Amino acid sequence: MFLTFITDLFQQDFMLRALIAGIMLGILAPLLGTFVVVRRLSFIADTLGHFSLVGISVSLFLSSVGITIFFERPLYLGIIFSIVGGLLIELFRRSYTNYKEISMVIVISLGAALSAIFFSLSKKTGSLYNYLFGSILTVTNYYIVLILITAFIVALLFILYGKQILAVSFDETNAKFLGINVNLFQFVFIIMLSIVVSVLLESAGVLLISSMMVIPVAAAMKLGWSYKSTLIISIIFSELSVFFGLWLAYSLRIPSGAAIVSINVIILLAIAISKRLKQKIRISKLDKMQ
Amino acid sequence: MYININNLSFAYGSKAIISNLSLTINKGDYLVIRGKNGAGKSTFIKCLLGFNPVKSGMILYDEVDVIDFTEWTRFGYVSQSFDDFNYEFPLTVGELLSISSLKNTLESERLKFLEKMGIFEIINQNINSLSGGQLQRVFIVRAMLNKPDVLILDEPTASIDKQNKEFFYSTIEDLHQEGLTIILISHNDDIEYLNYSHILTMYSDLTTSFEERGVEVKEGIL
Repeated sequence: MFLTFITDLFQQDFMLRALIAGIMLGILAPLLGTFVVVRRLSFIADTLGHFSLVGISVSLFLSSVGITIFFERPLYLGIIFSIVGGLLIELFRRSYTNYKEISMVIVISLGAALSAIFFSLSKKTGSLYNYLFGSILTVTNYYIVLILITAFIVALLFILYGKQILAVSFDETNAKFLGINVNLFQFVFIIMLSIVVSVLLESAGVLLISSMMVIPVAAAMKLGWSYKSTLIISIIFSELSVFFGLWLAYSLRIPSGAAIVSINVIILLAIAISKRLKQKIRISKLDKMQ
Repeated sequence: MYININNLSFAYGSKAIISNLSLTINKGDYLVIRGKNGAGKSTFIKCLLGFNPVKSGMILYDEVDVIDFTEWTRFGYVSQSFDDFNYEFPLTVGELLSISSLKNTLESERLKFLEKMGIFEIINQNINSLSGGQLQRVFIVRAMLNKPDVLILDEPTASIDKQNKEFFYSTIEDLHQEGLTIILISHNDDIEYLNYSHILTMYSDLTTSFEERGVEVKEGIL
């Protein structure tokens, strides 16, 4: 069964597309995930995903009333709405500086409510499932181009401004004394995150995007000894999850996003349990020595 | 850098914290700020650093109003509790210093400073594995990396033991001797260790006294 999967991966066009999209997803999600976790904004991808869904539902609604400009590419409005959602989070975050999560609850609720209204008005609630859970096995060539461009832009931004983004993420207060325009960097970061979340939505889905960003990082934090090592480990975990998730989805005919996230969680649990066991063994050895 | 504070008042809502404070800090001064909890020491520092917006009175840096001031890289700041810093995510001392350095490479002069502060031994250690004293040294080094004109320290010895305290204050004295302006909030118990040039005492009833060391009360209780 595994050999058939490997053969099909390189012989079937849709499988090859899924592999390329998966590899990109496996890099982009934990890369941005590390920043999101450092800034204690683990729910932000979920929130942006919900607001991106508003854009998609508005696209479907517009096409249902004869405005078909976004019908082929609902993702465009998804990106625009995700950016609006990101800016709303920043706006509310400044009103509730010590309660960052409140801003996300407000935006996620608004996103869910508006999506439900526009999906209902468009009478295309059937398509909701794909957007909620995503499907990496059905991505198009166009999507591959889009995700590659996104990865290129993100890589460029990190090469140019990675140090500054890290400095703001770890210590917002001190960033000012490094000559960093904190507000500008917050703005650039939230726009970049909004675009990436919208693009990954098609393959990962609204409900699973956050887990793909956060879970590999959470697992890597248990093993990493530095920022760099934690980032590399999280990308390795993420790629392993994508590969074995695709295999499971293909073999068992189950949703790909769900399979990838399940593998992610299995890795996290395996690491957490093994670390705990290791700790217990060490303590019992010390007890015996005494 | 020349710092001129003129009739500064500050309030959180209707609660006044600072009232009509005026003083001048010249280049190379070593100012110690002392006072009981709630007397407004940290609030004053936050005004100096532009974190608290000044609505009444003036703070001038070389004649530039704090509201228009942009050259914050001329300041090094070590806060009281580092509450804003995320300690839990893995990050080595070397990585922290690298992201806090304006230039990509550390010059020999800065490397010497790292050596003097005993940072080389812990450069590959995770930030969350450091003791209070080690952490304090790392944050001082971070504040000094970009060669500021003024170093501001808000109760920097709150979490370190007596032995480390002596080492810490002697390092601050060395920096002062090199011409750096120091502004330091301190507990009264620490005064014996400090070779300050000026002292500002802030009282809970909003009065203050500003003295030059060895000179009679300069501006008196305002």
